[in-house]
Amino acid sequence: MSQHNGAGRLAALPAVLLLAAGFVLPILLVVAYSFMPSRTFGLDSDATLANYQSAFTDDYWQPLAWSASTALVTTLICLLLAWPTAKVLNRRAGPFATTVTVLIALPIFISESVRLFGLSLFLMPGGGILAGTLNTLFGIEIGSILNTRLAALIGYVYIHFPFVLFPLLLGLSLIPREQVEAARDLGASGWQVFREIELPLAMPGVTIGALLSFVLSLGANAEMSILGGQAVTVVTRAIEQRFSYAQDWPLGAALTVLVIVITAAIVLPLLKRIDLDGLIRR
Amino acid sequence: MADAGNGAASILSISSLTKRFGETTAVDDISLEIPEGEFFTIVGPSGSGKSTLIRILAGLEKPDSGQVALRGKDLTGVPANSRPTCMVFQSLALFRHMTVGENVEFSQKVRGVPAAERREQALANLRLVRLPTEFYDRKVTQCSGGERQRVALARALASDPEILFFDEPLSAIDYRLRKILEVEMKELHRRTGKTFIYITHNVEEAMVMSDRIAIMRDGRLVQIGTPAEIYHRPTSRFVAQFMGEVNIFTTSSGRILELEAEHGDLDDGYLVVRPEHIRPDARDADVSFEARIESGFMLGSRSQYHLRVGDSIVIAELPEGAARGIIAGETGRWGFRLSDSAALEN
Repeated sequence: MSQHNGAGRLAALPAVLLLAAGFVLPILLVVAYSFMPSRTFGLDSDATLANYQSAFTDDYWQPLAWSASTALVTTLICLLLAWPTAKVLNRRAGPFATTVTVLIALPIFISESVRLFGLSLFLMPGGGILAGTLNTLFGIEIGSILNTRLAALIGYVYIHFPFVLFPLLLGLSLIPREQVEAARDLGASGWQVFREIELPLAMPGVTIGALLSFVLSLGANAEMSILGGQAVTVVTRAIEQRFSYAQDWPLGAALTVLVIVITAAIVLPLLKRIDLDGLIRR
Repeated sequence: MADAGNGAASILSISSLTKRFGETTAVDDISLEIPEGEFFTIVGPSGSGKSTLIRILAGLEKPDSGQVALRGKDLTGVPANSRPTCMVFQSLALFRHMTVGENVEFSQKVRGVPAAERREQALANLRLVRLPTEFYDRKVTQCSGGERQRVALARALASDPEILFFDEPLSAIDYRLRKILEVEMKELHRRTGKTFIYITHNVEEAMVMSDRIAIMRDGRLVQIGTPAEIYHRPTSRFVAQFMGEVNIFTTSSGRILELEAEHGDLDDGYLVVRPEHIRPDARDADVSFEARIESGFMLGSRSQYHLRVGDSIVIAELPEGAARGIIAGETGRWGFRLSDSAALEN
């Protein structure tokens, strides 16, 4: 073992200890609890798979399925919205792009709940900004969409859009302009340029943005409680309820493990495919 | 119609092409006829507008006014992907996420040519640019500079363009390899019989490869001719200086001011004399002058001398063998023949 390596290990020790105590240990605890009988508060019983059975049979799969599908839909909508935005920002450098970028980035510094309450003012029926404007200017009466899944989805997209946009911008900035010009010069149509050149070359950015959006949406709770009016129970809320009101730690733990497994199954293979070091060094 | 060098019909007609970027006029009212099969090079310093000109010709930039026609068909509003032309970029712009084969086949893939046919043609194009066919499956990132150059050429040829444009593709290549590629490019031009329009800031490169050269300055073509015409008969001091180190003397009332020499046949204006035409022997010279050898440099096959005449320096170059006995510090009589010089008005 070289001297250099030894020193590196020593320097990494505090971080390793912190992660072991604050991250690995709790996860191991959660995993251990997930195999304990329902409503027990110790790890001394015999291991059982009953909690995982409940997770799939006793309607707990619904929050999980809803959160996963909403995370997926949110990610897709964010990608569809962010691609044209990123293209415009990437092409038009200068004051315009800077202003727009700042306008999109600034709200991130405000608490998520505050922003969602702001959005609820927008969506409120009657005197709300959306309903009021439509009514006053165009005489259109719309019913309330607040406290519905749609309102929650709007919130999901609103909150996670910047997390997709900025990685996409990074991804697009990796495409040399001449590559696009060369493709067009060789006869490619706009769609073919997107399909063959832009998308593959911007893929690292697309992947990172999609992962951020998916993982954050999967664990999101505030959108549904503030905008969705608990129209659906999201998986994080279901877990919280198991741990607090229901006092069923093992079932909560099993649901937690399922979320972690789903996240890891999606994130790890994708992360392997992108060269993060290469992206950062540019 | 055109004053085309070899008398062939013109393939590309450019008339009154103008392009402005804000205050600067990058391309200023350029008209030009390029005959079929010619190797035409536009040479100019950076900022002369040559890149803008070729980008307009390729359809990557829209002109403010003027026309581009290919075999009489107006191309001006036609976008790059619908033009039967292809460009080799300065950066080469190879698709780095694709293999060599995928790069070469790209133009046919987007046109929907079946895979097997594409592959066959790609292999033929690799052979045409002298790349071994096993490069087909190689990643572009695994290729050396010279190999990438050839891949870019093969990719451009694969689209079977009527005209190939080159935007300084050799500028990032080291001297030795560039010399080899220049010859290969010339050879490729001969073998394919296609029209090549090439831009560069490197005069030497232009001289080696081109049938005709245009010198570009501040958005205008200041002289068009064969390499020999431009080298021996520059029409302006700019062109003369651009084509290498030259001596430019001012002539007025039959006198060469810098040399304090006289000759009856001199018009008022300027006289361009190349260093190799200044001889250390005034006997059969039309113009001779007294000069002190200030310094001498060995340039390989020839030697260069800086001669002082009054306040001016005259540059002379002699072949290795002829340079014996010429010693710095000595004063002697030097001269040149008027037939070796070019008289200019500006």
